[in-house]
Amino acid sequence: MERDQRFGYVVLSVVLMHVLLISAQVNAKPEATVFQAVTVGVFSEIQGWVTATRDGVAAVWSAYAGLRRVHTENIALNRDLSSLRVELQHQRALAQQTRRLERLLALRERVAPSTVGARVIASDATPYFRTLTIDRGVNDAVRPDLAVIGADGVVGRVTHTLGGEAAQIQLLVDRNAAAGALIERTRASGVVLGTDDVSMLRMDYVSNLKDVVVGDRVVSSGSDGIYPKGFPIGHVTHVAQGVGLYRVIEVEPAVEFTEIEEVLVIVDPVAEVVEAGGE
Amino acid sequence: MSPLSIAAALLAALVAQTTLVSVFPGGDRAVDLVLVVVLLTATGRGPAAGLWTGTVGGLLQDALSGGVLGVGGLTKTVAGVVAGAGMQSILGTGWRRLAVVFAASVGNTLFYAGVYALVNVQGPAATATLVVGQALVNTSVAALVMGGAQAWPGLVDRVRRRRQAGRHGWKAA
Repeated sequence: MERDQRFGYVVLSVVLMHVLLISAQVNAKPEATVFQAVTVGVFSEIQGWVTATRDGVAAVWSAYAGLRRVHTENIALNRDLSSLRVELQHQRALAQQTRRLERLLALRERVAPSTVGARVIASDATPYFRTLTIDRGVNDAVRPDLAVIGADGVVGRVTHTLGGEAAQIQLLVDRNAAAGALIERTRASGVVLGTDDVSMLRMDYVSNLKDVVVGDRVVSSGSDGIYPKGFPIGHVTHVAQGVGLYRVIEVEPAVEFTEIEEVLVIVDPVAEVVEAGGE
Repeated sequence: MSPLSIAAALLAALVAQTTLVSVFPGGDRAVDLVLVVVLLTATGRGPAAGLWTGTVGGLLQDALSGGVLGVGGLTKTVAGVVAGAGMQSILGTGWRRLAVVFAASVGNTLFYAGVYALVNVQGPAATATLVVGQALVNTSVAALVMGGAQAWPGLVDRVRRRRQAGRHGWKAA
């Protein structure tokens, strides 16, 4: 009986400790705690090793199943293609920007963003959030709120750096994620929100009066101060008149979120230099 | 199960959850391997073991996830204690143990979503598909582990006997 009572006190103490721990974070700025940094530091080594082994096994199997030479060439070509697609996205954004600004008789030169390539070493430890751990941290100038992009478009943002060699990124499909966005064709602006579904995003705050059709490309608007302007987010798959002021828009992401292996972190956001023309 | 083997199981579950589960389409949503370890420990060794496994496993899982630190720790602690106490009151094995794992898994997901709703942070939407689906997969994994654990001593014994028979046969020849 006394033993049961003692155990009851222990349970109560542990529960209270958790409640206090949660309460301390509710209104605080979201930052990685020492416990998180140490845990991720320890686990990232093991996770990196397991991920490399997993990828190695997958690569061996893939090479065995196909023609080895063709497979190797394919990897090299895909790598080239990925970097060219990122370059293309940037050039596309540049071209649009230039066209619009030229119309305003202003000439603006943009400097390409400085990026750091990172490998995904782990996904979220719970089944409830859409985050990834990458193998770059403070040592590579990675810091919170930097944009993360992939070959096909916007991936997410850095939420925490976890020591020198790891950082956590929140995917755009996470239910707590959002990004400023534009309908590329009509320049109608809104906010893209994660829905926890890897194949669907929601675009809110686009007026019912704006012209949006299925198939329209959605790109980052840069208004959030995190994601650079003009990077692909996805395309509209469903649009309807909303009951209030805004349209109901569903967007299929440009990025295949279940197959992300490598990403680019924009460590130095686009620098803009006004050469001529007035603003 | 010794404390060391429980710690090893927790470590393996965490690493597998973050690196291997996502290989299967939808796998990262469908199963919570840490919860499976917590519930198997609790139903096998009682509420005290469930308490500590739930606390350590939940906090480590929180640290490696995008959620609030402590929510997983709290819910898994409670799940571990309740599952351990429930198992003691039922006094059964096999199917009864799996039923406790299923019920505790459902309770854990609902409690987790409830705590997030309380702290005003967007957590999981506790849809019937998520709650029941995850509980079913967790229970299936638990059943596989229990089956494997039961079969293991017999398998080792059979291999040892076969080796011994082979050695004697070689000597006789």
